Amino acid sequence: MLLELKDIRKSFGKGDSHVEVLRGISLGVEKGEFCLLLGPSGSGKSTLLNIIGGIDTADSGEIFIGGERMNTMKEKQLTRYRREHLGYIFQMYNLIPNLTVRENIEVGAYLGRHPLDVEEILHTLGLYEHRDKLPNQLSGGQQQRTSIGRAIVKNPDILLCDEPTGALDYNTSREILRLIERISLQYRTTIIMVTHNEAIAAMADTVIRLRDGRIRDRIENAVRTPAEELEW
Amino acid sequence: MNTRTRNPLRRRYLRELWGQFGKYAVIFVLLVFTIGLISGFLVADGSMIIAYNDSFEKYNIEDGNFRTDEEISRSNRRDIEEYGIRLYDNFYIEKGTGEENTLRIFQDRDQVNLLCLMKGQSLQKPGDMILDRMYADNNDISVGDSVRFGSREFTVTGLAAFPDYSALFQDNNDAMFDAVKFGIAAVGEEDFSQFPSDELVYNYSWKYNTPPASAEEEKKLSDQLMEDIAEEIYLEDFVPRYINQAIQFTGEDMGGDRAMMLILLYIMIVIIAFVFIVTINDTIARESAVIGTLRASGYTKAELVRHYMVLPLLITLAAALVGNILGYTYLKQVCADLYYGSYSLPTYVTIWNSEAFVLTTVVPLLIMLAATFLTLWRRLSLSPLQFLRRELRRRGKSRAFRLSPHIPFSARFRMRIFFQNTGSYVILFIGVLFANLLLLFGLALPAVLDRYQESMQDNMLCKYQYFLKIPAYQMDKDYELDKILTSTFLRLSTRTSNPDAEAFSSYTLRIPEGEALRTENIQVYGIKKNSRYIHASIGRGEIYISSAYADKCRIKAGDTIRLKEPYENKYYEFEVDGIYDYMGGLCMFMRSEDLCETFGLFEDYSSGYFSDSEITDISRDMVASIIDYDALIKISRQLDVSMGGMMVIVDGFAVILFMVLLYLLSRMIIEKNAQPISMTKILGYSDAEIARLYIVTTTIVTLLILAVTIPLENVIMKFIFMNYLAARMSGWITYDIPQIIFIKMFLIGAVTYFVVAVFEIHKIRSIPMSDALKDVV
Repeated sequence: MLLELKDIRKSFGKGDSHVEVLRGISLGVEKGEFCLLLGPSGSGKSTLLNIIGGIDTADSGEIFIGGERMNTMKEKQLTRYRREHLGYIFQMYNLIPNLTVRENIEVGAYLGRHPLDVEEILHTLGLYEHRDKLPNQLSGGQQQRTSIGRAIVKNPDILLCDEPTGALDYNTSREILRLIERISLQYRTTIIMVTHNEAIAAMADTVIRLRDGRIRDRIENAVRTPAEELEW
Repeated sequence: MNTRTRNPLRRRYLRELWGQFGKYAVIFVLLVFTIGLISGFLVADGSMIIAYNDSFEKYNIEDGNFRTDEEISRSNRRDIEEYGIRLYDNFYIEKGTGEENTLRIFQDRDQVNLLCLMKGQSLQKPGDMILDRMYADNNDISVGDSVRFGSREFTVTGLAAFPDYSALFQDNNDAMFDAVKFGIAAVGEEDFSQFPSDELVYNYSWKYNTPPASAEEEKKLSDQLMEDIAEEIYLEDFVPRYINQAIQFTGEDMGGDRAMMLILLYIMIVIIAFVFIVTINDTIARESAVIGTLRASGYTKAELVRHYMVLPLLITLAAALVGNILGYTYLKQVCADLYYGSYSLPTYVTIWNSEAFVLTTVVPLLIMLAATFLTLWRRLSLSPLQFLRRELRRRGKSRAFRLSPHIPFSARFRMRIFFQNTGSYVILFIGVLFANLLLLFGLALPAVLDRYQESMQDNMLCKYQYFLKIPAYQMDKDYELDKILTSTFLRLSTRTSNPDAEAFSSYTLRIPEGEALRTENIQVYGIKKNSRYIHASIGRGEIYISSAYADKCRIKAGDTIRLKEPYENKYYEFEVDGIYDYMGGLCMFMRSEDLCETFGLFEDYSSGYFSDSEITDISRDMVASIIDYDALIKISRQLDVSMGGMMVIVDGFAVILFMVLLYLLSRMIIEKNAQPISMTKILGYSDAEIARLYIVTTTIVTLLILAVTIPLENVIMKFIFMNYLAARMSGWITYDIPQIIFIKMFLIGAVTYFVVAVFEIHKIRSIPMSDALKDVV
C-alpha cells in the first residue's frame, strides 16, 4: 500500500459555526492506482486531498505514505515529502506569468530527484510549439496542460489533482482527462483526483464517494473506461 | 535539494526588472544619487579631514596665541618661555583694502603656521604678497593682480592656505567666519618692517615644549599658562588652540557635516527599504496563488525568501557600486569644491576610504537585507493553503468596513481604495515628511537669513557702535597714579563733539563651560540713565539681557545667570530683571554706575559710543572696532555664501525624492487594482471616470499629508535649528519663517503631485480590458 489513511477527522470553526468536514475517513491507495474522490460541493473531498498533500492537517487519525507516518512530520519534513513524492494540479493553473511554458515546467523539474525530460513532456502534452510562449498567450486548456507538465515532470509518486477540469469547457476537459489517463498509463503514476463530475468515475481504478465528510461508497472498476469515451 | 538543474525562477529576475522597469529605474537612480552623493562627500570629507589633521604637524600649527598691547620685553619673554613653551612673533597689521574689505597681513612665516602654497609662487621681491586662496576666490583676485592695502599696493604672487586660518574668523568671539570681506595675506620681511610699529598688533604664537597628551591636559595646561602669563604681562586676548575657531571650526564643521550626511543616507535607505517592503507585500499578494502552488509542490520557504530578496538586493548592490564610482570620481570633486568654497583648506589627496565604502555600501545592503528578509520571512510563514486561498492576513479574514449606503457610491469606492492601501499611504506620509523636511531646510535657511538681515536694520541699538581702545585695566581704580594719568589722557583723546554720540561703558564676560550649549562671550553694556539708544527704564541694580541671549540660552526674567571673567576664574551671578528686544548679539545691559561698581572701575569709565551718525573727530587709532549693519549681518552673510548654493541642491533633491515616492506608491496602487480597473472598463466606465475613482483618493491623501506634515516639519525644524545653531555657533539667529514659505512648500508638493498624476492617468489608460478576463496567476 502506497498511501494509507486511518480514521481521518477534520473540523472548522467553533461554537455555532463548528463544522465537521471529515468524520473518520479510512482508505488505502496502491502504487499506480488511479483513485477518484467524488462528491458534491462541501463533501470534504478537497480537504481530504489537501491533508493527503500535506498542505492541511487532520485533527486526528493517521496517514502513512510508503510506510512512513506523515502526520507527525514537522513543516520541513512535510515540504521535503511534497517535494519528493507529490505533484499538484489545481483548478486554477497558477502559472508564473513571466516564465515561458518550458520554464514553468522546469520549475517542477528543478524539484524532482529524478525528473523526466522536459522536451518529452512538452511533446507528450502537445505544448512543444508553444514552449516559448508566456502564459497570457495561451488558452485555458494550454495553461492547464502546462500546469500538468509542471506537476508530472518531477516524476512524483503521487499526482494530486483538485478539480483539474473545473474551469474548462467540455472539449478541453476531455483533452485534459486524456492526458491524465496517459500519464497514469505511461508513467504508472499514482493519481488521486477530486471531482464532482459523476461521468468521470468510469476512467478511474477506484471511485470513493464522499458525502458530509464520510465515505458513502467505494467502487473498484474492473475495467477503466478510456477518457476518450467519456460523455457528460 | 536538486543541484543538477539551476533554479528556473532565476529567469524571472531580468523579466521582472524589465516588466517593472519604471519602478526599479527610479529606485535605482534615487539610490545611486543618494549613495553617490554621500560616498563622494565621505571620500572628500575623509580625505580633507586627513589633510586638515596632517596640517597640524606638516605646517607646524601653533598651540595657541595671545595678544598684548605692546611688544613684550626680552625678560618677559624669557620668563614666559620658562612655563614650558616657545614663543614666536606672529605680529600683524590690519587695514581696509578700499572695497569695504579688511586684510590682515602677517610677515611670511618660516617656523610656525607655515603656508601651503596652492597656486603661483612664493614671495620673490619686495612688493610681493601671498594671499589667502579662498579670500582671493571670493573676491575674484588672481595671481598677478594688485591689491591695495591702505596707501600701499602689492602684487599677488601666490595663493595659499594659512593653516591657522582655515576658517576666516577675524575675531575668535565672532559668531561666524567671514570669507568674503576678511582676508589673510603674507608679505616679506622687508615690506613688513616698513609698517608703522604703532599700527602693529602684537600677537604671539606658542608651542608647548612637551605637547599635552590629551584634550583634558591641554585645557588644564592652557588655563595654567593663561594665569601665569597674566601675572607677567597684560593680556588683551588669549586663545589656546582648542578654542581657536579659526583653526578648530573647520574640523568640527567637517565632522558635524559627516554625521548629518550619514543620517541623511540612512533615512533615505530606510525609506527605500520601506518602498521595497511595500513592493514585496504587493508582489506576494499578486502572486499568492503561485506561491501556494510552489509551496505545495515542495519549494521551501527559504528558497522563496531568497528568490524574492534577490532583486531588491541586486538593485541596492548595483546602485551602491555605481554610486561609489560616481562618488569617487565626479561627486567627490563637487563635495570638495563645497568645502573649498567655505574653508581655506590645504591641498588634499584622495585617500581610499574603506569606512566610506562600508558606510555607503555594506551598511545600506545590510539594512536592505534585514528589511526584506524580515518582511519575507514573516509574510511567507503562512501555509501553502492560505496562499492558495489568498488568505494573506495572519489573523482571521479581512473584513470590509461598514460604510453607510447614504455616502455616495464614488466616495465609498474611494474610501475602500484608501483602506486597501493604508500601508502605502503610511510610507507616503513618512517619505513626504522627510522630503518636505529637506525642502523646508532648503527654503527656510535663506528665508531666515533674509529675515534676520531685514530685522537687523530695524533692530540695531544704533547705527554705529564705537568700541574704543581703552582697556578695562587702565580704568581699574586700584591702580596707581601713573595709570590714572594714562586713563585721563585716554579719556581726553576719545572725546567727541558729535551730538548723536552717547557714551557707554562695557565689559566682556564669558559663559562658563557647561552652563549653556556653548561657551561664548557676553558683552556687558553700562548705559546712562534715560539713554537715547536703549529704550528700557533700567533702574539701579537692575539687569536686562538681549532677546538673542534669552532665546539662545532659554533665560527668562527672574532667572539667575552665572558668568565669568574670560581669562580668570572669577565668577559673577546676576538676576535677570527683564529682556531687551535686541537680536544683534548676546549681551547684558545695566546702568553704567552698576557696571563700574560690579567690576571695580572708575565711576566715569566709558569705553565706547552709541551713535546714529558717523563719528569723525576721534582718531581711528583709538577705535578698536565699529559695529554697524555690515558687522551685525556678518553671520547671515557668511551662511548665505557657504550654504546658499547647497540649498538649491537640497531643494532639488527634496522635490525628486517626493516625486519618486509618489510615483512609486501611486503606481503600486494602480497595479494592485489592474484587474478591477480592467473590469470597470468592460462595465463601461470611461478612462476619466476610472482616473477620478482611483487617482482622486491618492490626490486627497497627498494633499492632506502635505497639509498635516508642514506644521509638524516646522516644529521639527525649529527644534533642530535651535539646538544645532545654539551648539555650533556663537551669536544667534531667530528661527522666524515667513508664512509664504509654507505656502510655497504646499504648492511645490501639489505641483509635483500633479506631474506624477499625469503618469498615473497614462498608466490607467494603458491597462487593457483583457486583463480582467485572464487569470493566469
